[in-house]
Amino acid sequence: MAGEPILEIRNLRTEIELTSTVVHAVDGVDLYLNPGETLGVVGESGCGKSMTGLSIMRLLPPGGRVVGGEINFAGRNLIELGDDELRRIRGNDIAMVFQDSLTALNPTMTIGRQVAEPLRLHRHMAKAQAMARAVEVLDLVGIPRPTERLDDYPHQLSGGLRQRVLIAMALACEPKVLIADEPTTALDVTIQAQILELLDRLKAELGMAVMLITHDMGVVAGRADRINVMYAGKIVETSGTRELFEHMHHPYTQALLASIPQLDQDTSTRLFSIPGIPPDLADPPPGCRFAPRCRLATDHCRSNEPPLSGVTPGHLAACWYPVDGPLERPPAELPSQAIAANGSRPVLLEITDAVREFPVGNPLLPFLSPGSVKAVSGVSLVVREGETYGLVGESGCGKTTLGRMIVALEKPDGGKLRLKDTDIATLRGGRLRRTRRDLQMMFQDPYASLDPRMRVGNILSEPLVVQGIGDRRSRNARVAELLNEVGLPPNSVDRFPHEFSGGQRQRIGLARALILNPAVIVADEPVSALDVSIRSQVLNLMKRLQAEHNLTYIVISHDLAVVKYLSDRIGVMYLGRLVESGSGDDIYNRPAHPYTAGLVATIPIPDPSLERGKQIAAVRGELPSSINPPSGCRFRTRCPRAQQKCADEVPALRPFGPAHLAACHFPLQEPA
Amino acid sequence: MITYILRRTATAVIVVIGVMLAIFAALHLVYPSPARAVLGLKATPQAVAAFNHTHGYDRPLWHQFLTYINQTVHLNFGESLKQNQSVGQLFKENAGRSALLSGVALVIAVLIAVPLGIAQAVKRNSIFDYTATGVSFFLYSWPIFFVCLVLIAVFSLKLNWLPFEASQATSVFGVVRDAKSMILPVSALVIVSVAAFSRYMRSSALDNLAQDYIKVARAKGLSERSVLFRHLTRNSSLPIITLVGLSLPDLLAGNLIVESVFNYQGLGLLFFTALGNEDYPILLAYTLVGAILVVIGNLVADIALTLADPRIRLI
Repeated sequence: MAGEPILEIRNLRTEIELTSTVVHAVDGVDLYLNPGETLGVVGESGCGKSMTGLSIMRLLPPGGRVVGGEINFAGRNLIELGDDELRRIRGNDIAMVFQDSLTALNPTMTIGRQVAEPLRLHRHMAKAQAMARAVEVLDLVGIPRPTERLDDYPHQLSGGLRQRVLIAMALACEPKVLIADEPTTALDVTIQAQILELLDRLKAELGMAVMLITHDMGVVAGRADRINVMYAGKIVETSGTRELFEHMHHPYTQALLASIPQLDQDTSTRLFSIPGIPPDLADPPPGCRFAPRCRLATDHCRSNEPPLSGVTPGHLAACWYPVDGPLERPPAELPSQAIAANGSRPVLLEITDAVREFPVGNPLLPFLSPGSVKAVSGVSLVVREGETYGLVGESGCGKTTLGRMIVALEKPDGGKLRLKDTDIATLRGGRLRRTRRDLQMMFQDPYASLDPRMRVGNILSEPLVVQGIGDRRSRNARVAELLNEVGLPPNSVDRFPHEFSGGQRQRIGLARALILNPAVIVADEPVSALDVSIRSQVLNLMKRLQAEHNLTYIVISHDLAVVKYLSDRIGVMYLGRLVESGSGDDIYNRPAHPYTAGLVATIPIPDPSLERGKQIAAVRGELPSSINPPSGCRFRTRCPRAQQKCADEVPALRPFGPAHLAACHFPLQEPA
Repeated sequence: MITYILRRTATAVIVVIGVMLAIFAALHLVYPSPARAVLGLKATPQAVAAFNHTHGYDRPLWHQFLTYINQTVHLNFGESLKQNQSVGQLFKENAGRSALLSGVALVIAVLIAVPLGIAQAVKRNSIFDYTATGVSFFLYSWPIFFVCLVLIAVFSLKLNWLPFEASQATSVFGVVRDAKSMILPVSALVIVSVAAFSRYMRSSALDNLAQDYIKVARAKGLSERSVLFRHLTRNSSLPIITLVGLSLPDLLAGNLIVESVFNYQGLGLLFFTALGNEDYPILLAYTLVGAILVVIGNLVADIALTLADPRIRLI
C-alpha cells in the first residue's frame, strides 16, 4: 500500500442546518484512502459515517454543507471546485453505491438506460456504444444474460440483482474511488456474501479504492484492509483490520465488539451493553464524546477532548486511557436453562402441517391468475413452555407468515395450530378474542408499531381495556409495574412515542406484549432496527424477563447470531418449508441440511481471522419464485448435492440426534 | 395490454348501465310521466292516458328501461320540451364548443402546473415557493364565478383589453378564429385548475426528490437540469395523470358557470338554461353525459398510468 493516497480528508467539518438547530454531523474528520485498498468506516447510526461519504460527493441532504477542511483527490481540493468541475468527477472518478436498491433506481427507466447514462455523459458515447458497454458492465457484476435484462425495469429484478445494477452503474466509468454506503444492509445474508465478494473481486480487477461504510463489524472484518471507527461525528480509532479487532485501544471499539452476540457465545451469559444513547450532535458534550457512556471515564475525559494519537502511525485512538485488546467475556449471570430439561416441559404450542397460500391476481377472474404464493407449505413444530424457539431463513421463506398464524393474525388454509388444548385456527368471535390474551406479538419497526397519537400509558393499558381486565386503578398499577420492569421511568405514561429513542420504543413494544401475561410472545425481528449498542440492551432485557416470568418466545429473525443467542431450539425455513430444526449447537456446529450449512457459512463474523479463513461454499444464487416453487426438495435448485431424487420426492424430516430433525435426501451427516 | 383495455372498457360499460338504471329509477319515482308537464295541469285523465299510451309510459318498467337504453345507444335523448329541437341535436351542436373550452384549458393548466410544481419543490421554502403557494391558495379559495367576475371587471371593464363575452361563433373553427374573446373564459378555468394541480405536483415532486434515485442521478455527475428532466419529471407527474382523469367531469361542471357568465354556447349553458325551464330531457341527458365522463376519465387515467408507470401490473 505504498505511495500517495488517492483521497485524503483533512479536518472535515459538515453541518446540517435544521429549523431551530445546527447538527454538527461531521466534526473534524481526517482520513485517507490508498489506491487499491478497502477502508472500512464503521459506527452506529448518526455517527457521521454516511455524511462523510456524502460530503466527498457533495450530495448532502437539504440544509447540509461542508463548513471546513479539505477533501483532496488527485491533487485537487474538492471543496473548492465549482459545481461543473465536481460533476465531471462524480460518477466518473469517484462513484457511490447506496443502501436501498429499490429507491436508488429510477422506477420508470430501464436498467440499460440507467447504466448507460454515466457513459453517455462522461465518455460521450453514442447510444448503441453505451448500451454495448452497459451489457459488459452488467456481465461484470454477475447479472445472468445481461442483454435480455437491458429493457427490464428495476421492479422486475430481485433485491440482489438490483444491488448489482447499482454497482454496475457506479462502475460503468471505472472510477478510481468507490464509496459504498451500507451496500448490503438491505439484503439477505446469502445475497450479502455474494455482493461483498463481488465488490472485492471488482476492486482487484479495476484497481479501485473502496470506502466501505457500514454499521456491521462482521462485514468490515472480512473485507476491509483498514478500519476507521466513528462515534458522534469524530473518528475515535483508526488502524489495520486485524490490529483493531485484536488490540483495539478505544473503549468504544471494545464495547461495540463486546455487545455483538457471537455464534460461539455462551447463551447463558448476559451480553455486554453500552449504557445510554449517543449524544445529541446539535449540542455535543465537551471533552470526549463517549465519556458519558464510558466505564473508564474520569473528570479529565469529561472536560478535555482527547486527540487522535498513538505509538504507531498506523494505529491511532482518541482516548486518554486507552485499553488494549477485547473485553473479557463476563461470567454467566443468568440462570442457565438446561436444554435437556426442556424435553420434560409441557407442550405449549403444537403446529401440524400448517399451510398458508396467498392468491395472486384478481379473485374474480381465477382463470387469468398465475396461482398463489405458497408462503407456508406444511410446517409442523412443537414449542414447549418456557423455551425460546427461533425461526430463521431468508426473506420470503415464510417465517413471518408462520409467526402471524401463531398469533392468529393470519388464518391457516390447512393444518392445525394447537395452543394447549384449543385449535387457534378454528376459533371465532369472543373465544378468539379471549385467546388473544395468550398470543402477543413484538414488532420489528419501533417507529411504525406504536400509535403516534397515543400516550404510552394508553398504549400499554389498551390491551387490558379491550380484554376487560381490572379497573382503572389496577390497570394503572399494572402499567407502572411493567414500565419499571422494562427499565423506563414512571413518567413515561404521559409521554408520546416520538419522545423516546428506538431502543426505548422497543421496550415499550415488549411491555405492550407482556401486559396481558401471554402464554406466547412472537417477536418478529425484535432488534434488527436497532443499533448494536442498543440491541444488546433489548436482548438482555428479553432474556431477563423470560427467566423471571417463564415466558415462551418465538423469535423470528434473519440475524442468525441473535437467534442463536436467544433460542433454545431453532427452526430453519426455506421457501415455506421447515428444512431443519434442532438446538443452537445442532444448527451451527452439526448442520445436517446443506441449506443450513450454507446459511451459517454466509454470516459475517466480527473476527478477521475467522472471517477470512472461511472455506465452506456459501449458498449461491437467489430464492426461486414461491408461486411455482421447485418440485421435490425446494432447495434443490441451489443445492450442491442435489440429484434426480431431490426433484422427484419431497424429503421428510428425519431425526439426526435428540430433537434434531432435517429434511434432506443427501444430508451432511448420517441420520440417527 | 389489449385484454386489459378490453376488460376495463367492459367494466366501464357495466358501470354506465348501472348509472342509467339509477337515473331511470330516480326519475320514475319522482316523475313517472311527463304528460302533465306537456299537456298542462288541466288535461283530462283520458288525454293523459292517451299520451302515456302513445309515448309508452304505460308499459312495464323493464320495458321502459330497455327502451331508454336503446334510445340512449342511438343517441336519442328525446325532444327538448322548450327548445323545439331534439336533445341529441342540441348536444351535438354544443358539445364541440364545450370540449374546445375545457380541452384547451386543461392542456394549458397542465403545462403550467407541472413545471410550476417542480420548480416550487426544487426551490422549496424559498421566497418563490412561498409566493407561489400563497397565490395558488388564494386563487384556490375563490369560487369560480368570482374568478370570472374579477377577470371581467379587470380586463374588460377597467382595462378594456378583452371582450367580456365569449365567442358567439357557431362552429368550433369559428371559435378558434375568435381566440381573443376566449382568453378570459379559458383563463378562468386555467386559474382554478392550476391552483389545484400545482399543489399536487409540488408534493409529489418533493416526495420524489427525497428518493435515493435522485441522489444516485446526481452521483452519476448529471447536471441539475438533466436530473430534473430525465429523472424527476416523469416520476413526479404520475399522480397528475390520475388527477387529470378525475377532473374531466369537473371541467364540465366548471363550464356550467364559466359558460353562463361569459354567455358561451356550450353544454353548460344549455344545462343552465334547461334548469330554469325545467327541461327534463336535457337535464337527464346532461347527468348521463356527466356520469359517462367520470367513467371515461377514470378509464383514460388508468390506461395512461399503466403506459407511464411500468410498475403497475395489468390485472
